[in-house]
Amino acid sequence: MDGNYKENILTEPIGEYGIEYTYADYMKFEFEEMVELIRGKIFRMSPAPRSSHQIAAGNIYGPLWHLLRKSTCQVFIAPFDVILPIANKKRDKATTVVQPDICVVCNPEIIEEAGCFGVPDWIIEILSPHTRKKDLQLKYDVYEEAGVKEYWIVMPQEKLIEVFILENGKYRRVKTYAQDDEVPSHTLPELSFKLEDVFD
Amino acid sequence: MKDIKKENLIAEPIGDYGVEYTYADYMKFEFEEMVELIRGKIFRMSPAPRASHQSVSVSLSSMIWTYLKGKSCKVYEAPFDVILPVANKKRDKATTVVQPDICVICNPEIIEEAGCFGVPDWIIEILSPHTRKKDLQLKYDVYEEAGVKEYWIVMPQEKLIEVFILENGKYRRVKTYAQDDEVPSHTLPELSLKLEEIFDK
Repeated sequence: MDGNYKENILTEPIGEYGIEYTYADYMKFEFEEMVELIRGKIFRMSPAPRSSHQIAAGNIYGPLWHLLRKSTCQVFIAPFDVILPIANKKRDKATTVVQPDICVVCNPEIIEEAGCFGVPDWIIEILSPHTRKKDLQLKYDVYEEAGVKEYWIVMPQEKLIEVFILENGKYRRVKTYAQDDEVPSHTLPELSFKLEDVFD
Repeated sequence: MKDIKKENLIAEPIGDYGVEYTYADYMKFEFEEMVELIRGKIFRMSPAPRASHQSVSVSLSSMIWTYLKGKSCKVYEAPFDVILPVANKKRDKATTVVQPDICVICNPEIIEEAGCFGVPDWIIEILSPHTRKKDLQLKYDVYEEAGVKEYWIVMPQEKLIEVFILENGKYRRVKTYAQDDEVPSHTLPELSLKLEEIFDK
């Protein structure tokens, strides 16, 4: 990661600068705010999302939830811990714990009370002013490496949805959808979203 | 192109629906508004751009202009006709005439008084509410096919810049730059632009 994420990094409360935290540490954190752990580093979740963020989120997970009511796939929304098996596959040693805005998980075996211990099939992140770089660069790399097959980046200000599909371990950008487009889901082929409904 | 949006198509003034217009036709158009011709179809330029669009456009082109002073590459700003050799390489038969927000052209031989007759090295489009789909899909395809080596899509609302580089005739998405990033130019390797300065106003 050559990016500079200083502004997203919390003052680290325990240990010295440069320490790599794990899921075991994460479970002991007592922050007053929500954090994510990405490759061992602690990232603050942005201030509470804006209304345009929440409107888009609702317009996406509402239809998803309805569609998936009788399916083995399930939709989860933030805050919900997803412990990704990158770098270290041992649960306690996991260094990446994210809270995607929306994720769809089709394998019920990786769901536990404490969160998702494995790779969601589909993740949707909705950009906020303070999370843009994290969503577009850091999480993009992490989701690609973890093997998240479908990644959507929703841009509520610009009213766009950019879709990435994993092919041979790398994301291929399918398209950035705009205006009157309908965005098809690859994970759930029977589902598509009209952009106008998402940003309504 | 089934993606062509009706709201972007102006009523076609001559010929029947489905007619493919050329640069020769384009030169005879007498619209009161600016239009572009993409694969033979007429597209209205959006209503006059918003202030945020113009402020970004001025910042970007000024930074590039400053850098290019005394160099052989030149920067051009819309409205400036670029006649692209897609589908048909004959000038009068060209079916694609675009007005990119910003383009950098390093070969002076393709510049004439009437515009650029050839392929710019670097094109920057700044999204407007009504041009998003055109810039992100239609022009993306056309620039890729024409061989524009570097294409930047600037999103003034989200304050993002997405960069594409042509590799083996296809665009590779380099990255979407955000927040405190510096965006390096591939066409002009010594130039990199600070996002915060671009979206300053």
